[in-house]
Amino acid sequence: MKKLKKIDWDNIERFVGSLKFAVIVISLFTLFMIVGTFLESYYGADFANRAIYKTTAFMIVQFGILLSIIFAATLRLPPKKRLYGFYTIHSGLLIIGMGSLITYVAGVDGQITLAPNEPNRQVVLSKDILKITYPAEGKQVTTYLPFSAFKTDINETYDIIAIKEYLPFAEGKFVWSDPINHYPADAQIHSSKYHFKNAFAEQDLILSIHPEAGNDFQSTISMGPLTFNYYPEKIAHCFEENNASKIIIWNSVTAECFTPESKGLPVKTTGAKNRFVVLPYGKNFLTFFPDFSPFPMDMKLQTDEKSVIRAFSKKLFEEKPNLFLFGKKAAFYSKADKSWKMVDLVVKGPSAILPWMGAEISLTEHQDKLVPFNLPIPTIPIQKNGTLIKGDIRAVRLEILGKEYWVTNNSPLQLLVQGKKIVIEVTKETLNLPFELALTEFKMDKDPGTNNPASYESFVKLFSDGVTSNHHVFMNNPMKKSGFTFYQASYSQDSQGQYNTTLAVNVDQGRTMKYLGSLMLVFGAIWHYNLNNNNKNKKKNKTSDQNDPGASA
Amino acid sequence: LKNLIKKIVILLALSLTSLSFADTYFCKNDLENLPILQGGRVKPLYVHASEVMKNLTGKSKVGDLSAVESFCMLSLNGMGLPSDIKLSARVDHVDLMKFLGLAKDQHSILYEDLLLREEAIKSEARMIKDNESYKKAIGKLYDSIFLYKEIKSGENWLLAANINNHIEWQPLIVYLTEDKVIAQKTLTPDDPFLPVLLKSKTEFDRLNGNAKYELELYYAKAGLASWALSLTIIALATLVLFRNFNITLGFAAISALVQLVLIALRVTISGRAPVTNMYETVLFSGFGSLTLALILGHLKKEKIFVYMGLGYNVCTLMMLNFANGMLTATISPLVPVLRDNFWLSTHVTCVILSYGALALSWILSNTVLIKRKWGTITKKDELYYSNIIYTTLKWGTTMLAAGVILGGVWADYSWGRFWGWDPKETWSLIVLMTYMAILHGRHTSWIKPARFITITAGAFLSVMMAWFGVNYILATGLHSYGFSEGGAIFLGSFFLAQITLLIVTSNYKKDAILPAGE
Repeated sequence: MKKLKKIDWDNIERFVGSLKFAVIVISLFTLFMIVGTFLESYYGADFANRAIYKTTAFMIVQFGILLSIIFAATLRLPPKKRLYGFYTIHSGLLIIGMGSLITYVAGVDGQITLAPNEPNRQVVLSKDILKITYPAEGKQVTTYLPFSAFKTDINETYDIIAIKEYLPFAEGKFVWSDPINHYPADAQIHSSKYHFKNAFAEQDLILSIHPEAGNDFQSTISMGPLTFNYYPEKIAHCFEENNASKIIIWNSVTAECFTPESKGLPVKTTGAKNRFVVLPYGKNFLTFFPDFSPFPMDMKLQTDEKSVIRAFSKKLFEEKPNLFLFGKKAAFYSKADKSWKMVDLVVKGPSAILPWMGAEISLTEHQDKLVPFNLPIPTIPIQKNGTLIKGDIRAVRLEILGKEYWVTNNSPLQLLVQGKKIVIEVTKETLNLPFELALTEFKMDKDPGTNNPASYESFVKLFSDGVTSNHHVFMNNPMKKSGFTFYQASYSQDSQGQYNTTLAVNVDQGRTMKYLGSLMLVFGAIWHYNLNNNNKNKKKNKTSDQNDPGASA
Repeated sequence: LKNLIKKIVILLALSLTSLSFADTYFCKNDLENLPILQGGRVKPLYVHASEVMKNLTGKSKVGDLSAVESFCMLSLNGMGLPSDIKLSARVDHVDLMKFLGLAKDQHSILYEDLLLREEAIKSEARMIKDNESYKKAIGKLYDSIFLYKEIKSGENWLLAANINNHIEWQPLIVYLTEDKVIAQKTLTPDDPFLPVLLKSKTEFDRLNGNAKYELELYYAKAGLASWALSLTIIALATLVLFRNFNITLGFAAISALVQLVLIALRVTISGRAPVTNMYETVLFSGFGSLTLALILGHLKKEKIFVYMGLGYNVCTLMMLNFANGMLTATISPLVPVLRDNFWLSTHVTCVILSYGALALSWILSNTVLIKRKWGTITKKDELYYSNIIYTTLKWGTTMLAAGVILGGVWADYSWGRFWGWDPKETWSLIVLMTYMAILHGRHTSWIKPARFITITAGAFLSVMMAWFGVNYILATGLHSYGFSEGGAIFLGSFFLAQITLLIVTSNYKKDAILPAGE
């Protein structure tokens, strides 16, 4: 039997600690980074992280550098005076490496968004998770999704839910899918696809009132000043009535409607000339002020937003361009004729001319029961100006009781399985802070005479153990509390025009080591390269130090 | 407002009967040191008018009229005063020329004609989907039309008005009221308008002081970058052609001093470290490398460092003087994250100085490549040059390591993480790693002195990518405040030229390298 060759550790140590090995790993490390920056430029930071910076291969190269640093130093022991700078550089690099490892393993890096005067303690982290909620049981299960750049098989099962695959970057391919749940035959759950165009643009619009249509398919869409409102087909005839009051009363569940005139309900006005209608409803009366709210109001003028009976005032939609679509019918207000118009649309039929800047609309598809759905297809993302313009869908394919389902970050899945309601979401991992924060004021100064921001500042209230303290967070001025550091990261404006602030939240236990290692690296480099050589040059006077193994770090 | 403008026009018309400069009304170069508010800061009208006219037409002057005169004349249009001034936009994009119906050799079009087609241009811009460069070109043209309209309406010229001892900035059409003109007419009946405008300066100076914007006027007019270029070229010529080192040293020192004054003026005017845009980083890098070369040359008693410093300094000053499409000298307010002078003056200056030091090695290695291919060089020379290059690399990498680390500390302080694989950060590390690989490799049999020189010349491409490429080509990441346009062609040409030189000089006659001592 052939004897196994004894491992020559000395040789391995000499090779790993050699300058040639250093050149190889440094070059590989550089090559990875070059590819990473180009990937980031075309496909976004997340893709570059998943494809390069956080891959095992890149970690191995970094580990190779670490080994090279260690062995290069150990090979040059016992210490020599002329190599003190070299030892300092390599020790500094090792300490930076250890600090980075601690940050990687134990650090926290997330964001918290604060709305004015709304306390929040939830930090959103970067890891993708699949969250399964059983609302009736108050139970929640989460599982980490793989940090991969491409489609990844999972094959994990929880209860009756089999998690089959994860697409970190996907684009939606539009399809009509069967509904998951059952609905009565006359349920108003239709969806339509329209083609809209005017002098400046043309676009396909898919509008839906199907309860299973995800966030991609809404019943209201705005395009510049024009708003498209999609309503149940059953309501169209009330629009056609052209009743004097221009008020329609309808049931949001059954979509049945009538006008006050058709039921002989008087439209009265208050002393302040506000119109109202009183509708007998069972043993009660519902009072509507349709020019203010679609919901009935009680004696204290509080709206009942749970009411399925609602009132609609067409008058509110006459000033600005509003198009009402009811599947195969469309209604709009003509300012020229001072009246509401109703037009019929036929699937793949001619366009209806609208009264705004040569606009026209045609119906290309209509489905009574099928659900519009963007089927996730794996893709390579594309970024522009820091935002993904393609591939911004994260999707998980599931199998439940032999049936296939998709959950995306845009469309959570709600199911009734074996009598149990289940909500499944693709979301981000979160962390609850041991204290709460609330935004009291967000301030954005601008450069004089311009709209360019000069500073972003958040005035924050911190609630901890019954004590409230005020803090001021702005660029280059973070807030620190219980090991967490909060940085001004971003801001947004909600539909009411109020500013929300986003703070980056960070815990970095490896910080001190990274700083110490950095100092050692810089001072070591100065010592080794710039101080040592002066002495050496005095001795050698213009001769090469080419064969000195310790001359390079 | 219409009535007010009418009255002003009548007053002006009456005044003009006694004026000899009717063709330019009261638009005179006396207005050039008038403080105005534009782009988020107070500056002299001369600076703003020059920038605006250059932006609109590609040139500061319009015919015989100065930038101030043309800006003023155009602004008076908003008050209904006719003028013969006709500005043309420069159009180079082929698709845009086609859209505007321009002939192949016709690269300009009158703004007045563009105004008539404004809606069509807007509509065309909306309809472009895939052609990015066309979209950018038409977007830029649309911005220029907007600016032209703003100037013509008198809204672009903001003058300082004293409202209850507080400065309020008012557009020309609001500032130039009938009351002010009539009141002034009693004092200077021949020319009441100019004194009314100049009063804006008096009031601003009284309430706010005048030091900075007046200084900016001198700075803008001094043309220090051109002076520095001339001095550096003379210094280099005396060294290369006449081999008179003392005269070289004199001119090099004066040029460095002029550049120091240029930097100091920008620091005083902007109130921040001089490394906040591409213009300033190129300026600082050139100055820094020349200074470092003079110091190293003095310490090491090596004249060649002065040659390297001057060689690179010429390149940077050429860019400052002639690459106006890519590097703009405009001083603008900073984005919020950069408003920290400590970090600006440590991290950015350190990185830019390191690029300057590495550029010294690039100059010498390319010189050796050329000399080796088309001249003669000894083994001893080659070793000597490689040692000189090695010295600059050591300085460059040490400063770069410090700069990268300081950047990490600043990022940790501002964004909450030491390292985030942002392209600017990553490319600075790529440069460091590239040079570290070369430094390590030099001590192996892989990189001998001859190859070391070639590799060092090529390695500078990584510096150019980190410095320009991230901004002009990658254009992504958190350092977006540094992104700009117009540099991709420059960078592409640089890469092409360097790679061509490397290829052409790779095949040199070995006997050109004479043995040591011959």
